Amino acid sequence: MEIYLPIAEQSINVFLLLGLGSVAGLLAGMFGVGGGFLATPLLIFVGIPPTVAVASQANQVIANSVSSLQVQWRRGNVDLRMGLVLLLGGIVGSSAGVSLFTYLKRIGQIDFVIAVLYVVMLSAIGGLMTVESLRTYLRRRRHPEAPRGKLHQHYLVHRLPLKLRFYKSKLYISALLPIGLGFVIGILSAILGVGGGFVLVPAMIYLLGMPTSVVIGTSNFQVLFVAANVTFLQAATNGTVDLLLALLLILGGVLGAPVGARLAARMPGVLLRGLMAVLILGVAAELLVELLRTPASQYSLGIREVLP
Amino acid sequence: MRPVVVLLTLGMAFASAAKAQAPLSEPSIPPLPAPPLGSPAESGSAPPSVPDVAPAPPDLVVDLSLARVSITSAFQGETILLFGMFDPPGEIVVVVAGPPARETVLRKERFLGLWLNTGRQAFDDVPAYYAIAASQPLQRLLARGAGGEILSLEDRMSTARSVGERGSDDLTRFRLGLIEVKRRQGLYPAAIGQVTVQANRLFRADLPFPSRLPEGIYDVRTYLLRDGQIVAAVSRPLPVSKVGFSAQLAGWSSREGELYGLGAIVMALLVGWLGGAMMRRV
Repeated sequence: MEIYLPIAEQSINVFLLLGLGSVAGLLAGMFGVGGGFLATPLLIFVGIPPTVAVASQANQVIANSVSSLQVQWRRGNVDLRMGLVLLLGGIVGSSAGVSLFTYLKRIGQIDFVIAVLYVVMLSAIGGLMTVESLRTYLRRRRHPEAPRGKLHQHYLVHRLPLKLRFYKSKLYISALLPIGLGFVIGILSAILGVGGGFVLVPAMIYLLGMPTSVVIGTSNFQVLFVAANVTFLQAATNGTVDLLLALLLILGGVLGAPVGARLAARMPGVLLRGLMAVLILGVAAELLVELLRTPASQYSLGIREVLP
Repeated sequence: MRPVVVLLTLGMAFASAAKAQAPLSEPSIPPLPAPPLGSPAESGSAPPSVPDVAPAPPDLVVDLSLARVSITSAFQGETILLFGMFDPPGEIVVVVAGPPARETVLRKERFLGLWLNTGRQAFDDVPAYYAIAASQPLQRLLARGAGGEILSLEDRMSTARSVGERGSDDLTRFRLGLIEVKRRQGLYPAAIGQVTVQANRLFRADLPFPSRLPEGIYDVRTYLLRDGQIVAAVSRPLPVSKVGFSAQLAGWSSREGELYGLGAIVMALLVGWLGGAMMRRV
């Protein structure tokens, strides 16, 4: 069944989009991250213009994080103070990111920048995850009883000015670090249409030294508002948010998330992370091949302007 | 004094009569008429163009199977049938041109092993869509005399003005690149369409429109040629627009981007919240 997407201006199969959304939801349920980092490249693979894919995906991230935040909030797993400090950087970063996006779109380089950023980011994360899960696997095999290593050490965090006390995270660190982190995630969110949870979560654990119990909830909190900011700005300045596309992705995600959660409960964590790493590296490789391969046509069209 | 008044009245009467039938039938090459939006032509198919004032029957009568192309949520492209009648002898040529706009052509080049857009060239007055159908090979029809305003795609594209300075060789490459992309999108059909003539005076042609179709008023012109000369031309405006839900969404997005953004946020919050709550119960 084909449906015409009014902003992407093309018709596409409904079930393909629902399926894409449910894959993203499945990942969200399995790993507790948004899944946007896989859904956006997949949307681009099926022919949605990158600009529309990114903006509509940001819209989908809102639904994803509100659904997950619902649970985390009730369990008291949100460090509101940390969330707000992160958000401060996030709002500034995402606003700057949308301006950068608009500029890149105008000079015709946005598709390239999106692809390159995805390749760099996905291969870095996929590589780290592969190494980490291999190491864990080998260690467990040698010493099945071995406890997990120490999660973090503090260096930089304690030297910077503007120290703030984060009671829930049991931290006393400079506010500059979470603000900076939020800023970077905000830019990624605006340009790549991801929530950024998959960068934010490890950064909160390893960089800020937050306890793992509040990491997911706090990340969801920040991602929700940053994605809302990106959606709003993209719609207001670029008009690239396709509501129908986002709705189909969200509906697919709603169906996929619980399946993912159930799968995750049955599989060992190492295997799960290993699988995800392979998936991420696969998408990165495909994007890289697209960049390196001689294109079928050298030419493409930019924005069509109807002159008055 | 008196003849002037008579002339004026006559002139006005003629003008209003001409206006009434403007899109249907005109005896000579008309200037592009302003498309009469909301004309009776909108409701399904228009009434046959039997002129009510002209003393002699026109040489050429044309109609379309659909008065407009409606881009609905189920739109997957459309083929419109053009049909009509002409006074033999003669040959028929149909030219469909989409609304002109400025197009920017981007060219990829290899840079440090990666393919990225390094060149760009804008062209003004590029038709969104351009298709030709003819009852005989076009070259044969036009070779015998001046085709006048009937332009092949290549000729039409050579009139598209380039923006800025560039060497002519390179400009030609960009121009060919533009045609290539439009061909790929199905907006410049490569083959000349076939106008089928029956009983020596009835004709029909299929006009194909792809699913990725720019909106605007398209101009469907039908020419009657005798000995390579245009003896009659009929111009029909064909509006292409989104309708229904997709039109509302697109219109809302372009008119009130801020409000649309807020709407998108509310939609995502609502569906995400409800969906999440529901699926956890299951």
